Amino acid sequence: MEAELKSDVYLDYQSSKPVDPRVVEAMTPYFSELFGNPSSLHLDGDRATEVLESSREKIARFIGADNREIIFTSSATESNNLAVIGYAMRKKGKGNHIIISEVEHISILNIAKYLEKNGFEVTRVPVDQYARVNLKKIEARINERTILASIGYASNEVGTVQPMAEIADLLNSKGVALHTDAVAAEGLIPIDVREVPVDLMSLSSNDIYGPRGLGVLYVKKGTGVAPMILGGGQERGLRSGTENMPAIVGMAKAAEITGDEMTGETSRLATYRDRLIKGVLETIPKSYLNGHPSERLPNNAHFRFDAVEGESLLLSLKDKGISASTGSACSSKTLEPSHTLIASGLLHEEAHGSLEFTFGRFNRDSDVDRVLEALPGIVERLRGLSPLYEKE
Amino acid sequence: MSMKSTQYSEKTLDHFRNPRNVGTLEGDDVAMGRVGNPVCGDLMEIYIRIEDDRIKDIAFQTFGCGSAVATSSMITELVKGMTLDEAMKVTRSSVADALDGLPPVKMHCSNLAADALHAAIKNWREGIRPKDFSTEFPTYVGKGCSTPSHPVKGEEEFLGKGAYNNKPDPSELLDKRVLVFDTGDESAKFAVELDKHTGRVIFMTPSKEPAMDAGLKMELKKSDVKVLYESNLTEIKGEGEVEKVVVNDLDEDNQYELFVDAVVIIRED
Repeated sequence: MEAELKSDVYLDYQSSKPVDPRVVEAMTPYFSELFGNPSSLHLDGDRATEVLESSREKIARFIGADNREIIFTSSATESNNLAVIGYAMRKKGKGNHIIISEVEHISILNIAKYLEKNGFEVTRVPVDQYARVNLKKIEARINERTILASIGYASNEVGTVQPMAEIADLLNSKGVALHTDAVAAEGLIPIDVREVPVDLMSLSSNDIYGPRGLGVLYVKKGTGVAPMILGGGQERGLRSGTENMPAIVGMAKAAEITGDEMTGETSRLATYRDRLIKGVLETIPKSYLNGHPSERLPNNAHFRFDAVEGESLLLSLKDKGISASTGSACSSKTLEPSHTLIASGLLHEEAHGSLEFTFGRFNRDSDVDRVLEALPGIVERLRGLSPLYEKE
Repeated sequence: MSMKSTQYSEKTLDHFRNPRNVGTLEGDDVAMGRVGNPVCGDLMEIYIRIEDDRIKDIAFQTFGCGSAVATSSMITELVKGMTLDEAMKVTRSSVADALDGLPPVKMHCSNLAADALHAAIKNWREGIRPKDFSTEFPTYVGKGCSTPSHPVKGEEEFLGKGAYNNKPDPSELLDKRVLVFDTGDESAKFAVELDKHTGRVIFMTPSKEPAMDAGLKMELKKSDVKVLYESNLTEIKGEGEVEKVVVNDLDEDNQYELFVDAVVIIRED
């Protein structure tokens, strides 16, 4: 096998991030030395409780929340389940209607399907050509049975950021609770629940360079949620199970670092993003940007190319040591193209030709050059093979 | 052994990186087979040159994923020199085997290469030649469907709410995804004009090659208007305003939804 185990230009930060070495360092003592269980009443237990609560505080500070509003889970997917199913179960006496957008993460889509099978009604709000939700379209779908809306903060695919503050204001005025999956946005744009008053928000640890296996659900004070995992009553009874202390310490450290470095870091990434977008659109004919031109995550560049297929692009980039991602069906388990691109109004064949680059903490300026050197030739070669491309 | 979707054999990767026999063939002794659908992410054309009932030369063009490219390249090597009867016996799995296997999720791609080859042989035997694909085959699929004679389902309901049966002022459509239905040169001209004002214009035509003024055809090609061939408009849907349309793909005979904000069907009454 000659394939390299690691690409030298990694541009797929949306799918996985390395754990920051400073985070690993902070976590290390909590595996074997400081192994106490916060539920124990002895000294080791007390010390663990202190660490648990100070970690909780660091994460609360990261999003402008109160300590008691932070619930640790095993993943953002679990947070989504707890938020949407937990809230729906708790409020089913009041109504059975839930609103989501057409561009939600697959975990929300599947939760919605589950709820539909269990007596709830789910309405999807369409988006515009940039994958952005329109407030009027949400409003048109609210009825007297609507209890909850779940709208992702930003798209993990095309990078479009939703007008969350306006959405929160609208739903608050209508008495409908708002959940947001903020995983794609966390660490990349400032998130403060005092300014954007959502009721429930899912976060992940790995998406701010913390360890996998940990997520957080922000539950605004006074928001009732039925637990999904029952047991010893940890996390105020909302999520039982002994706390994953090394991961919690890791995520707290990750939140601290991300909070401290965000301003400089995001403008650095935005410079790479903008240079890549400009370079690709200028050098490759019939290439287009997907997602919003300005309201987009600072690290996301998402393209489509007429008459080439995304998986072929990925494979060719892999040969040049570059890792990226695609919305093509050929790279998915279902063989369906990205629902986000389809909801943006693209045809299937256009969605198949999409290519996503996401920058992160360990990218350098020269990574942009590598892509700009490799990509035009790759697209040209694949178009040379393609019967769909009309040669001039 | 289970393979992940991107785990290809070395042989498959070799055929992807250095595909054999890429291109087209011309002449009276050439037949072509075309299978797949760009909507599904793959389209394959295989050309064969026949001499004494044997495949003397072969070439292909493919739009598709890595394994679609590799299988079409592989099959051209496999069957070159075979008699037509022998080539008809080349199956989907013989292509995959020759590539030392394909990931399970990609097996359907190997179907395409064999299907395209068999289609080419069938076309040869039935006397269908590559030029027939653009001329003798019916240009219009379904008679008289270039303008829906009666309103499309939902058209009247959404008039003034994103549906137009005349030419709207382009300034009304800024930043909207607009579907313009082919009702002749006027509609194509409007699509090209609209492309200067809004980010997304789709020109939908039931035809495979819409008959239009050559200059206009060129302008349409140069613009960013997305042309949707062999498609008909079945229904306009939305919550109070136009939000999506149901498209009937005439070639594949299936339906799908397309998200748009406005639909323009210029009716000359």
